Amino acid sequence: MNKRLKPSDIAKPSDCLCHIESGELSPLPPPYEDFNQATIPPLKPEKVKNIETSLDDTVAIGIPKPASKEEEEALVRQFLSGLKKLFEKENNWTFLQPLLLSMEHCAKCQTCSNACPVYEMSGRKDIHRPMFRAEVLRRIYNKYLKPGGKITAKLTGDIDLNWTTIARLAELSYRCTLCRRCATVCPIGVDNGLINHEIRKLFSQEMGIAPKEIHEKGTVQQLRVGSSTGMNPLAAKDSVEFIREEMEEITGYKVEIPWDVEGADILLLHNAGEMLAWPENVGAFAIIFQAAGISWTLSSEAAGYDAVNYGLWYDDVQFSRVAVKHADIARKLKVKKIVIGECGHAHKALTVIADRLLTGDLNIPRESALVTLEDIVLNGKIQFDPHKNDFPVTLHDPCNMVRAMGIVEPQRRILRKIAPRFREMTPHGVENYCCGGGSGFAIMSGYNFEAWRNLVSSRKKFLQILTAFQGEPQDVPKYVCAPCSNCKGAIRDLIRFYHAEERSRLYYGGLVELIVNAMANMKRPIILFGEEPSWKS
Amino acid sequence: MGFYTLSYLCILVFILAAGYRVYRQLTLPIHVRWEIYPVQHETTDKLAHGGSYMEEVNWWEKKRESSLLNELKYMVPEILFLRGLWKENRGLWRVSFPFHFGLYLMIATFFLLLLHAFLTLWGILAFAADSAIRTLLDGLIVFTGWIGLILGIIGSLGTFYRRLADPELRDYSSFADYFNIGFIFLFFLSAFVACLLGDPFLEGAKAYTFGLLTGGHSLIPYMPGQSLPGGMAIVTASLLVAYIPLTHMSHMYMKYFLFHNVKWDDTPNRRGGAIEAAILKNLELKPTWKAKHVEADGRKSWQDIASSAPKEMK
Ligand code: SF4
Ligand code: SF4
Repeated sequence: MNKRLKPSDIAKPSDCLCHIESGELSPLPPPYEDFNQATIPPLKPEKVKNIETSLDDTVAIGIPKPASKEEEEALVRQFLSGLKKLFEKENNWTFLQPLLLSMEHCAKCQTCSNACPVYEMSGRKDIHRPMFRAEVLRRIYNKYLKPGGKITAKLTGDIDLNWTTIARLAELSYRCTLCRRCATVCPIGVDNGLINHEIRKLFSQEMGIAPKEIHEKGTVQQLRVGSSTGMNPLAAKDSVEFIREEMEEITGYKVEIPWDVEGADILLLHNAGEMLAWPENVGAFAIIFQAAGISWTLSSEAAGYDAVNYGLWYDDVQFSRVAVKHADIARKLKVKKIVIGECGHAHKALTVIADRLLTGDLNIPRESALVTLEDIVLNGKIQFDPHKNDFPVTLHDPCNMVRAMGIVEPQRRILRKIAPRFREMTPHGVENYCCGGGSGFAIMSGYNFEAWRNLVSSRKKFLQILTAFQGEPQDVPKYVCAPCSNCKGAIRDLIRFYHAEERSRLYYGGLVELIVNAMANMKRPIILFGEEPSWKS
Repeated sequence: MGFYTLSYLCILVFILAAGYRVYRQLTLPIHVRWEIYPVQHETTDKLAHGGSYMEEVNWWEKKRESSLLNELKYMVPEILFLRGLWKENRGLWRVSFPFHFGLYLMIATFFLLLLHAFLTLWGILAFAADSAIRTLLDGLIVFTGWIGLILGIIGSLGTFYRRLADPELRDYSSFADYFNIGFIFLFFLSAFVACLLGDPFLEGAKAYTFGLLTGGHSLIPYMPGQSLPGGMAIVTASLLVAYIPLTHMSHMYMKYFLFHNVKWDDTPNRRGGAIEAAILKNLELKPTWKAKHVEADGRKSWQDIASSAPKEMK
């Protein structure tokens, strides 16, 4: 039974504001019906004894429970002080105008709800409506920070502000992938994804509240050690050397991977997660660039070998620090441009968002690898035999590349040339659905969050993938091309969770792997469909 | 004169409130880019798939092209016919379109009335009684006025009903939301009744608008304020003019900023350009965020903080 919830209900005490019952999630087609009654596995009581869990069936942050009423009140005051700062130019010049515009003009028409995959797949739970959390924030702001707010709240929408409201709002800001699909359909132009982003910032920048995977193990570790993977420069170089040797062995192709070449045309920035989880991606880039005779380099300076910038999802300060570091490394190397590898959020972070942060000689041209690759593949710099990719391929569009940057066609033009059995998902391009791992979800797996992601936020993508391959025989291997590390992480987890390799022979990987696989002079394929490469066996 | 005083006051409030909203937008610091594709001023080949100039190799070396025509092709049906809502939420469009279009036609009628009043005031020869221009203008006023009133009544009743009947909307609606629609409905209704009962050619509206320009001096003895619905129409219309910019209904014109300054703001920052100068100014601002990792003390600027690494975790 879907219990209706209003924004003001967020303040009312209960153990679980929104529970998903068995059978409420959107149904999956055969052979996955056995998952239709699945629910999110309950949180282990001993693990969540001291943390806030009253929002729903999962936990993303794990906020410690305040020890006393006084502590709760102090936290409420901190929240209000942070909320005020969101509307001050000294503290939030970065997003002040978009925030004000979205806060003041929502007509509460609910058009955005139908566009949101989390809302739809959750069985249409009210708390997942894009405007739910925005409306909570709006009401708190209007009531507690605007003059006369306590009186006007009775007319414009009331809400109580207590610790429960705040703890739930913090958790709720990590149930939205910031895919901004809702923003594209709003008839007024209101962006609830943006409001959610600002809520996360308030918690992080004022109260030090953020999931540890994206803060402590993420940006903090990247700024200290050099990478959110924990790899220091030496370890990164070692990994890449290992990848180089393995790629040579697999492909029979001699590969050079240049490091710290001053004056190179291109500084290639990879998500360092590729080096550990998908080394063939790093190797494939090297093969393509080498075959095309490109002047390029990797950087071994701390943070220079890891393109990620998790600050994009929750904290402008951490964002700025990482972006400045990336640009400074490129400046010191005197490269002509930075090319960002297959990592969607890194694309948007450094190319678009940091564009109004980097000035003078830090403003080095930045380009998407998909664009660089298109130039290589379509302009005859390499010979291809597309029949080597004679298997069904579909393309996942990373939100940060398509909706946030308008990079839509280069990857398609490449696929049309090298993958004869390429087919689109529905919808695709700027109307795509998020992989469900956006805004940090792909790397967040504490408590039971991974199960929530697989069952709820990634569910729409799973349905889309299955539909794209409808009609293909079960035993034919199928390739989901996802040119983004986080998306690959989410899709990998989906395939595992739903046993889709066994049931549908579903595989996934990046774009460069497909390109190298189709290169005419490659001795052996690098897409192995389940046959493990030597480094994994 | 009481009606006129009210109308003048309300117009003043409108100018101040709407002016303040616009002024505030224009004086806000430049923000980071947060565009969302499709960006409608892109060139036709890019727009076909929602692409951007960033799809080009070395895009920064090329001349930036954009298309005002493409933007207009999107904006005009969006503003006039609420195309986005038609596409994404057809059920709501059925009531929202007549509501909005009714209001547009009222605004159009007002401007036609103003034109009529000016032409009369200036005593332009071509605008003499029985002239073709005058007949045309009279006809237009009657046309836009009546259609607008009818659509407005249907639309405001429909929107009110939907908000009340559909739990999806009701659960998120406040007293103010119903009040706003009710208020607008009251205006449409009173103006409709006033016209229906004795002024089908909107002579009263013409006379009142003329009076607005002349401080209350009217050419004809009949004034809408002489009847209850006529008086109500003047009062509600005047109050609405003052009220709209004080509420979220200001989206009627603020949508310009939502689209042009955020959704479609894709202008790249070039070295030595105006955007860079604005960023440099922003980077001097001194944040006061309290989380330890920010390390803000009210003296350090964004520039200082962005070029440092945090010592604290939390
Ligand atoms: S954000 Fe836009 S689409 Fe969503 S309820 Fe508000 S006005 Fe409607
Ligand atoms: S940004 Fe995406 S996930 Fe978040 S509310 Fe909007 S549509 Fe839903």
